[in-house]
Amino acid sequence: MMCQWCMKHGAGKKWYMNAYNYSNELAEKENMKEYLTEQWMNFEQVFIRRIMGFSSKNLGYKLKMPIIGRILRWRAENMIHSEKKNRNPINADGHFGQVIPLEDAKIIMSELAAEPIICNYCMCRWMQRKEKEAVCINFGVLSEVLEKLPRFIPKERTVRIDRETAMEKLEEFNKKGYISTVWFQPVPYINAICSCENPECGAFTLRSKFNLMAMYKAEYIIQLDQDKCQGCKSCVAMCQLNAIQFIPSMNRVIINYDKCFGCGICRHACNYDALKLIPREDYPGFDGKY
Amino acid sequence: MGKKVNIGIDYSKCGESGKIDPRDCGLCLKVCDPAVFVMHETIGTEKEQEDPYDPQDWRITPIWGSLCTRCFKCVEVCPEKAITIKW
Repeated sequence: MMCQWCMKHGAGKKWYMNAYNYSNELAEKENMKEYLTEQWMNFEQVFIRRIMGFSSKNLGYKLKMPIIGRILRWRAENMIHSEKKNRNPINADGHFGQVIPLEDAKIIMSELAAEPIICNYCMCRWMQRKEKEAVCINFGVLSEVLEKLPRFIPKERTVRIDRETAMEKLEEFNKKGYISTVWFQPVPYINAICSCENPECGAFTLRSKFNLMAMYKAEYIIQLDQDKCQGCKSCVAMCQLNAIQFIPSMNRVIINYDKCFGCGICRHACNYDALKLIPREDYPGFDGKY
Repeated sequence: MGKKVNIGIDYSKCGESGKIDPRDCGLCLKVCDPAVFVMHETIGTEKEQEDPYDPQDWRITPIWGSLCTRCFKCVEVCPEKAITIKW
């Protein structure tokens, strides 16, 4: 079962495999440069700004309020997925992403991403942890926007990279435990592959703590070969989402599919080839559950 | 988590008009396991950012209050004692 974003913007494929969504033609037609400049100049304020008199401050409490909580949730979902003409860049309207495995990230970098490609500081790690780590791969018009904003641009380091280097970096980040995610920004324009941590990533927080769909699960799910698992627990330490649990009595791990986003990072930790990604649609229990 | 936790930051001690620039300190950001705090350019204060492309006035907001576990590590680590937690 295809997700609604693939139906709408995938041209028969997955939304992030549709070359048009990466094109300069789309960026120009929708005047994306102006939108992205406004968005990224103010991005750390995204949770502070008031919307209908409410900011995201203490969102967890606000969403629990009767009636108002439901209105806020509806409003927030509408903003996250907005395709309206009057969407607001300062609220990051229309900005949401999906987890992708390394294999798909490499296809995007080799065939689909528009140039120039840059590697810049992650905004989430900066605003949530004061960490400057250059792990965000951006492309197309967004690269040109970010290059004008000193706080996201590493000094004395190469910022513009080629496709080959971008693929190598993504593999390095993946093996470190970072989750590859691809982004509409704003929908349907695609211009970033992030390498996320949890809870540092704002979108993972919105999804896993407040069930707001700023981040979708991958088009794949992980499968554990129980016979191959030797109970070494290496994968448990690798998972950013606490989705793998070791069961001592069986001497193997189990997957918690509520928490698993299908990123496939755990595969890098497994020494026994016990973890594999399979397409989500091949597994009836999880088909369509993003 | 029960009762609503109120985390307060005294911006006369930390932030654009305090002694500490959170971009130099950031200890509360790092010490908090659930990452309750967010560092951001100031808005809504009298002072406008001189260069909006390179903002120099920053403050910290405890944004995800409902995730606070009341461990008080941020209160202990803050060099200006700018953080209070009440419920």
